[in-house]
Formats: sequence, C-alpha cells, structure tokens
Amino acid sequence: MFFHIVLERNMQLHPRYFGRNLRDNLVSKLMKDVEGTCSGKHGFVVAITGIENVGKGLIRDGTGFVTFPVKYQCVVFRPFKGEILEAVVTMVNKMGFFAEAGPVQIFVSNHVKIQKDSEVRLKIIGTRVDATEIFCIGTIKDDFLGVINDPTTT
Amino acid sequence: FCSLILYFAETSSSASVSKNECAHPGSFGKLCVRCGAQVEVAGVSFGNIHKEILFGNAEVARWRDTDTKSVLCRRKLYLVLDLDHTLLNSTHLKHMVPEEDYLNNQIDSIQDCQNGSLFRLSFMNMMTKLRPYVHTFLKEASQMFEMYIYTMGDKAYALEMAKLLDPRNEYFHAKVISRNDGAQRHQKSLDMVLGDESAVLILDDTEHVWPSHRDNLILMERYHFFASSCQQFGFGCHSLSQLKSDESEPEGALAAVLSVLRRVHHLFFNELAGQTGRRDVRQVLNTVRKDVLKGCRIVFSRVFPSKFPAESHPLWKMAVNLGATCATEVDPTVTHVVAMDPGTKKSRWALENDKFLVLPRWIDGANYLWQRLPEENFLVKSNEPKAEAKVKDSVV
Repeated sequence: MFFHIVLERNMQLHPRYFGRNLRDNLVSKLMKDVEGTCSGKHGFVVAITGIENVGKGLIRDGTGFVTFPVKYQCVVFRPFKGEILEAVVTMVNKMGFFAEAGPVQIFVSNHVKIQKDSEVRLKIIGTRVDATEIFCIGTIKDDFLGVINDPTTT
Repeated sequence: FCSLILYFAETSSSASVSKNECAHPGSFGKLCVRCGAQVEVAGVSFGNIHKEILFGNAEVARWRDTDTKSVLCRRKLYLVLDLDHTLLNSTHLKHMVPEEDYLNNQIDSIQDCQNGSLFRLSFMNMMTKLRPYVHTFLKEASQMFEMYIYTMGDKAYALEMAKLLDPRNEYFHAKVISRNDGAQRHQKSLDMVLGDESAVLILDDTEHVWPSHRDNLILMERYHFFASSCQQFGFGCHSLSQLKSDESEPEGALAAVLSVLRRVHHLFFNELAGQTGRRDVRQVLNTVRKDVLKGCRIVFSRVFPSKFPAESHPLWKMAVNLGATCATEVDPTVTHVVAMDPGTKKSRWALENDKFLVLPRWIDGANYLWQRLPEENFLVKSNEPKAEAKVKDSVV
C-alpha cells in the first residue's frame, strides 16, 4: 500500500555547499540519500514530494560539518500482511513463482498454471524488511485471487 | 499514520496455514513460504533460483524424487557442466599478450553467438573463446540430458557465459549455479541439482572440487586457448592462440566425450531397461571406462620413484580404472611397457619381444579421450624432450 507521509532526517552538509545554493544542495543530497531506500517502519521510499521545513543548522564540534534537521513529505510503499496486491510474475519454477509489485518481491508457493509476465492478484501472508529489500510471501488460494491477465492476451 | 496501519495488520485468513500447524517446508527472505511466519529453516539454499530461497531437506528430497522420475521417464539423465577450461576459456583483456593482438580482428558478434566462438565482452573487460564443437555438443547432449551449468565464477559471469552458450535459453533456464550459490566456497556439490546422484553425470576439468562425487565425474582435458590460461597453470609452453591454432572439432575433447555420453545413455536406457532395482549411471560409466584399455597388461619402467609403492601411483591407478591390469615385472602376458627412456632394461625387453613401448602420455590420452589411442603416436624415442605441459603432473 502507498502512503504519503512526513518524515524527518538530520542532514549533514560539508561547508563547501554553503552559500546561496545551500537549500538546493540540501534537498539534492536528501533525495540522493533517501529515495530508493527501505526501512522496517515506513517501507520503501518511492519519491520525495516536498520539503516541509528545514531547521536551524548546528555546527558539529571538531569538524566543519553542519547538521540540519529536515522535515519532508514523501510517498512510501509498504506491504502488509492481509493486504491484497496486484503483481507481475517474474519467474516460475517447481517450487512456486516469484512476482513483483514495484520494489517488493513476493514468493507464492501455490502451484497454478501460470507463466512469466502474467498479472496476478495475491494476498500477502508475511512480510520482512531488511536494509534494501522487502520480502513477502503471498498466496492465491482465496476467493477472487489468481491470474488476472496472461501475457499472450493484449 | 501508525494507528491506521495496525487496523490492517494481523488478519489471519483461511488461505494461509496456521502457524502452529505449518511444517515450514521452506523460506523466502526468512519467511515461511506456506504460512508467512518468520522462521529459520535448515536445508538447501537454491541460490541459482534466488539468493534468499531455502528449502528444507525433506521437501528437497521429495522434489528430487519426483524430478528424477520425470526426467528418467523422458529417457534423459542429468548432466552438470563446468565452464572454464571445459566448455570455454576466458581471459581478462589486460592479461592478453601482444601475440594475441590478431584475435581482435576475428571477434564474432554477440548478437549472432549461435555461430560464433570468439567474443569480446568489453563491459566485463574480458574475452571468451568457446571450445570447438561446443554448439553441436550442447544440442546433441540436450536430447539425452537435463543440463546444468556449475561454475566457480561469480553469478554475473555465469549468466553472461550462459547467454553465449544458450542464446535461446532452451538448455539452462534457471539451472545456472555459480560460486556464491553453493554452501561451500571451494567445493561443488549436487545439492542444488534436482536429480538423484545415481542419475547425474558431471563434466569438469578439476577433480578436487567434487570430493563426494568422483564417481559421477568425467574428467575433461583442459582447454587452454589464451596465453594467460597457460601462465595461470604454470606452463611454459605456448597456448593455442599463440600457436595460431585450435582444437580439432571432430577429434577434440568435446566430440570424444559426446560419444562417451551417448554410450552411457544407450547402455542405461536400452540395455539396463529390463533390470529390476535402481539403475545407477555411475556403474554404467565405470563399465564404459573399463572398456577403454581392456586386455592391456602394463608394466612401468622408471616412471615412478623406486621407493614409491607402485600401486598407489596415479598413473597406475588411472590405467587400472581404464580396464588394464598392471604389473611390476615383465612376463609374456605383458602387452605394453610405459617408459620415458628407450634404454632401460624393461624398454629393451619390450622392443626385443615386439611389445608396445609407449610414453606415459598414452595413458593420459586414453583417460581424456576414452579410447585406446594408436600406440604409434606415443612411441618412446631416445633423447625424448622434457614431458610436455599437456601431461598432468602424474609423471615423476
């Protein structure tokens, strides 16, 4: 499921980036650091949509770096147990099949007549997030679940 | 935000198995594939399918059984193929020598790899030469075997090589096993192969990586095309590229091995067909191997150090595995004397009594090409030059 939320992050900036472009540099660095990452709490950060607030910068002792607390809005994606998703099949083998819904990889151990690039509606029965990836287990053994579209039909 | 999330979470459904009843047959990303709970499954990791997928031993045993039955029903066996020095030879561009510059004019197009053999993979800084006859070999073998690639190279390399060998993805789909897929770094095992070990043959140039499956192994003569390959193994001789030459297609190693595979396949499916009890391809391979030097009685002369127990020497054991009998003293039943020097007592006895006097290479040749090679090509001459690099280090 997608969410549009506000997150906060402390950004460290090297003095070379100070000056009239400070805010732009801060925002670019934020995007580079955060977009595409994953966390257990929020899931996958898809895109930053805006900056809500940039707090006062604090100079760190000993180095010249300055820390700015930044509040930003972003779209995140996080699958939940019990959630129903539509996904595209990426690989089929004797153990089941793999499907992808955006950044999430889902494994379904049910056997069904299915092929690569089919669209399938599945239910998530377990999730786990590590540093860069989200793993899910899905099932199609419920009402209204299963293959939606074969790749052969347009 | 958080309270909204909790509302959706933790609804158990009729579709998933309750965590208490589930046998957790396998896991994906440490989640049970059947019930979704976080589990630690003890079993086999199938890195060739996905690095996070793992299945329990009982489940794997069940699959292996059904898969093997299905493959045997289709009159096929399993064949595990090594890449480097077996089906091809690769080199880093920076390890190429000036004598190999001419190769840059002979590169084949990657788009047309079905017909080519020399490829430049600039994005990997590499050049790869496929072994002569490999396309025919794979096509013919695929009709008798379910094939896997198993290489000690990394995954990216393995997948690129698979694309060159199998551009239409008809032989090796999801059956490419590379270095990090296996449980152990310097050894290979049949864990990720869904065939029972009684139905698997292995083609590899290196014996010691298969410690538990020596009986399934057909040892390949190493393909040294690039200069770096010869250097890597410490050989002072020139490689095929430096000699502007290549292995012969009809008489090379792949053609010889293909005929061995045909013979094994034929024996397994045609002659053992009526047999009750489980047929074992290892026994069939052994039978074929023991046919190579059947009828030969061999004596060695100054090939092993004198205090060395002769029966333990690799060359003696190789000859016995090939079906010959060996002896330490000459007698009228001896057919071959193996020596380096035509002047030894046994060598002169051989010449006087019209027996074959051959170099140790004759036995190596039989081992790699699975046939009794003409002795005329291996005659011992005086002032024989130092053992050529082609011979494995069995000659002392």
